[in-house]
Amino acid sequence: MRPAFAVILALTSVFSACRRAPAPSIAELDSVPWDSVVVRAHGTTVTWLMWRGDPSINRYVDDWVAPRLKHQYDITLNPVDAQGPSILNYLSVERQAGSGAGTADLVWINGETFYNLKTSGLLAGPWSGRLPNARYVDSSSTIISRDFGQAPAGYESPWGTVQFALIYDTVATPHPPRTVADLKTWIRAHPGRFTYDQSFTGVTFMKVLMYALDGGVEHFQGPFDESRYREGSARVWQWLTDVRPYLWRHGQTYPDGVADLHRLFANGEIAFTMSDNQNDVVTKVRQGILPPTARPLLLRDGTIANAHYLGIAWNAPNPAGAMVVANFLLSPAAQLEKQKPDVWADGTVLAMSRLPAVWAARFNALVADPHALPRDSLMKYARPEVAPEYSERLERDWRVRVREAPEH
Amino acid sequence: MTKGEDRRAYPALLGALLVAMPVLLGIAYAAAGAVGVTGIATTGFNFTRIVRVLAERAVWRSVAWSIWVAGAATVISVGAAGCSTFLFAGRTVVDRAARALAIVPLAVPYVVAGALGLLILGQSGFLARLLHEWGWITTPRNMPVLVNDRYGIGVILTLAWKEFPFLALIGFSLLATRGPALEETARTLGASRRATLLRVTWPLLWRGLLPAATAVFIFSMGNYEVVALLAPSDPLPLPMLTLERYNALELASRGDAYVLTLVGLLMGLIAVGVHEWTRQHSEVFNQ
Repeated sequence: MRPAFAVILALTSVFSACRRAPAPSIAELDSVPWDSVVVRAHGTTVTWLMWRGDPSINRYVDDWVAPRLKHQYDITLNPVDAQGPSILNYLSVERQAGSGAGTADLVWINGETFYNLKTSGLLAGPWSGRLPNARYVDSSSTIISRDFGQAPAGYESPWGTVQFALIYDTVATPHPPRTVADLKTWIRAHPGRFTYDQSFTGVTFMKVLMYALDGGVEHFQGPFDESRYREGSARVWQWLTDVRPYLWRHGQTYPDGVADLHRLFANGEIAFTMSDNQNDVVTKVRQGILPPTARPLLLRDGTIANAHYLGIAWNAPNPAGAMVVANFLLSPAAQLEKQKPDVWADGTVLAMSRLPAVWAARFNALVADPHALPRDSLMKYARPEVAPEYSERLERDWRVRVREAPEH
Repeated sequence: MTKGEDRRAYPALLGALLVAMPVLLGIAYAAAGAVGVTGIATTGFNFTRIVRVLAERAVWRSVAWSIWVAGAATVISVGAAGCSTFLFAGRTVVDRAARALAIVPLAVPYVVAGALGLLILGQSGFLARLLHEWGWITTPRNMPVLVNDRYGIGVILTLAWKEFPFLALIGFSLLATRGPALEETARTLGASRRATLLRVTWPLLWRGLLPAATAVFIFSMGNYEVVALLAPSDPLPLPMLTLERYNALELASRGDAYVLTLVGLLMGLIAVGVHEWTRQHSEVFNQ
């Protein structure tokens, strides 16, 4: 056999082996009873694109969720590391490749990622209303029912809630600032002891500043408004430029992500770190990453609370399996386990009033960790997200207006 | 080459093509993305994206920073490798042990090298604590900034440490395969030790090291793991700027990554061009 022909034949065989039988679509699954969806999911593998950067979350997924899915539904869970932007790139590339069935089923998303995936037609749906456990969801909460101001419209199922918080050390900083104005004063009085990251959490911090400096979250409700953005962001740039000489490394460089920020805090280089999850401090103290005296801090101007969700890829090879996994993750048992301080400490999306009494009692009996913030404080200072374009613009403009701006 | 030899060369050519294919396809895809006909946030065929990205000051600062860091790391690692080759070219136990130890960093992954750089050179790192312990600095925070710094000192030192064993290995091999005959002849003819080193050993070593040094420079320019841990956020190294754009929240910015990929590729091609020019024109090679 000629070598060239042999190579072509081998490649053809490989590509042929990669072709799969078409999976039932979400629309087809919509017309069958839930039990049939579960039957179709039996014995399958669900590939889940999710952030794998936190050992607590990984342990919950790998050691608690996966064995139960296998035992109860004979579903093999295959978590694959991917974050919001990379999920969008992943699914976009698959669509450009023009293949029928893709490789990912479930995606862990929210905010801008949901907005970009949905507007690009990369999400399957609607489907989340079909989940039996959806009846327990706290749909009266605007934090859960609106994803960065957008209606999920059945294209994603809520999974958990978080709230932005600063983290400080009660020994090193016994009297931390409580407002955005106080924070500015504190930063100027303590040169080199504060910074923020240039990633997702840093953008949330900028949104907290924008709400506080320009009339509260109400001012930014509704669709993206260019003039409101310009006005609000101008105040943010001014605030950040004013404090820049007093930041860690004089604001000449910024930590790449929140993990770097935590490291600087743990090493004592800075006095504050921050997190999109107010309970991050709980798990990080238990892991020994943060000192035992670390505590979360909510600024009284309000801090951003949001929910995170599960979506199904537009070309999911196993949408039935993805729906069963999403339903399992919404179950009271899975939500309770996830909320335990020694597991992940991620807030539930279920309404206690809608749960069977026995489950509501179990949630209420969860012992609050001494590092966690009380529920009434969280609710008091929680502010919803606004249209995703605000985050996109803040991220882009910060690079030019602050990071790359010449120092004065 | 005969017709039969021609035929026997086809499989090898096909193999080479298969190896090169992903790279060639990647370049074609990046070029198509840069002009807006494919990839994320397609705009239809136009040069708007290329013009806009190339007009950004941040892009050129990024390119300049990456060239500076890669150049400095390459010069240091070549210098260190050359010195090691001269110093430990003998057959004594010490020479052999030194040669073995010199190539140890070769086995260290880049991400581990970056983490080591952070742990040793950071302001809360080992060196800062040691200097504080010795009373040279009042607090570890007074340690000179060596990581995430604008001059890329931490990146340069880490990359130089990581690339040095590769170049040293080549240097040791060059001297070992060539043998001491030329040096011995020079010494017999009355050349001093210094003259032998400069006129005989170094030119021969340099000729062999130049392709490897070019490869080190190109690799250092494109390295991501070390700069991700040790580089400043302004100027952002070219690989990080490329990835930042590719993962931007704003969809329209993602296409910028294709242009930046081509810029990085162009830098590599220029380095290869400089290498070829040097090889052909340098007096060293015409000796």
